[in-house]
Amino acid sequence: MADDLVFMMGEFEALVPGDRRYAENHLWLQEDGDFLKVGLTSYAVRLLQDVYFLDWSVDPHSNVLAGQEIGEIESSKAVSSLFAPVDGQVLEFNDVALEDPSAINTAGYGDGWLYRFRTDAVLLDPQEYLAVLDSGWEDTQRIIKGQLN
Amino acid sequence: MAAKSLTVVVSQSPSKNPAKRHLEEELVAALMLDETVDVAVVPHLYNLDASHSGTMFLQSMRGHLVVLSWMYPRAAHWLLDRVGVKGHLGETLLEDLDEDEDVEIPEPQGIGGVELPDRNVYCLDLGVDSDPGVFLEEISRIVGELTVETVELMDWISGSPEPEQLERYLDPLSVLTGQGGVEPVKRRWYPVIDYERCTNCMECIDFCLFGVYGVDTFDRILVEQQDNCKKGCPACSRVCPENAIVFPQHKEPAVAGALGDVGALKIDLSRLFGNTSGLDTAVSERDVELMRDGREAVGASVGMPKRQSDRDSTERDDLDDVFDGLDAMNL
Repeated sequence: MADDLVFMMGEFEALVPGDRRYAENHLWLQEDGDFLKVGLTSYAVRLLQDVYFLDWSVDPHSNVLAGQEIGEIESSKAVSSLFAPVDGQVLEFNDVALEDPSAINTAGYGDGWLYRFRTDAVLLDPQEYLAVLDSGWEDTQRIIKGQLN
Repeated sequence: MAAKSLTVVVSQSPSKNPAKRHLEEELVAALMLDETVDVAVVPHLYNLDASHSGTMFLQSMRGHLVVLSWMYPRAAHWLLDRVGVKGHLGETLLEDLDEDEDVEIPEPQGIGGVELPDRNVYCLDLGVDSDPGVFLEEISRIVGELTVETVELMDWISGSPEPEQLERYLDPLSVLTGQGGVEPVKRRWYPVIDYERCTNCMECIDFCLFGVYGVDTFDRILVEQQDNCKKGCPACSRVCPENAIVFPQHKEPAVAGALGDVGALKIDLSRLFGNTSGLDTAVSERDVELMRDGREAVGASVGMPKRQSDRDSTERDDLDDVFDGLDAMNL
């Protein structure tokens, strides 16, 4: 198993665990039986902060395309659409997180997973995801600052 | 002391947003001490199905109702009408500050509701203000408006509630809101028809290929099979020529029940810049849902609207006058 990595968001240490793979839109995907569990990375959760509401606009077992809008998230800092990480099939949603999304904040790499997923797409390893974070950090800060004005 | 003539129902947001929860709690606390009204709390109205105790509680109410929910007023009103919580549309003076005042809203020309009991249902959108005082003031105004009428008195306790009476009120509340694992609500997705605007043109039943729509015994269009609807798909709303189909949870205000530009197909700005018409959007939304069901996409070959060709784009001609003349003869 690869080592856990850390990306520094200013002072904040965004953990990138070595035991799973990633998608560029800040989702982690971890094998869970025959399928994958998907959740938001620590980086994404740090940007969202407290998550208040989660809603899905597709039914379980829907085939989805990379970048397809599949839901919405409301947090103390943002309202955002949620998009499919890669081509695949959304199997079922985590009812616990749907009912009380605070698990995304308290256990984003554990009980706060979002949905089960099946895909044949190639995913990023932790090192590659870290490179994505590195190259995007300046942009992300600019976007956030732009929205604050 | 007179019995209370008004029940105020607070419908909770499905979101855990503390600002929303806070507003709901402040309102309930203030209303419980208000001697002129009864108060009850139910989960988010849209998610209640016909068999939920919250729905049955609402159906059992006979007097005037004020319903505070996180929805546009007409979405809440017609949603309640659909589950049998009927009444005349109570006029509210609350205004959504975000709405453009310059937009002219045509008078509704719809077929209206049926079998409306002699009471008013006032729906207030909790999203219009974060100050509970705004809502409390409006409720007081409604109480004042109603006291000039003769109303059927409700057989609830009257006068100042004693602490144990308050407790009795609190008890059913916890049941209704599903706290403590009682009757959880599932997220739902289905259209709500605003009969004040619906002209019974049947474009929606022609367009939807999932068996959501039907007609009632009066041959009026009806959302017959709510749960046949495809989650996230608002296509029928876009083809409705009267903006009468509402999806209260949709993120585009025009689809969620905001009043505004009516009569034309509704277009999200982002789609406008992508040069896609509301009808194109509806066709592709429907195709996505058909293919998810393992069915063939039909594109624009089925159920295309017949009544929403852009009426203003062509000059009137003699033929138009002839047709209008025929209509006037009531043949």
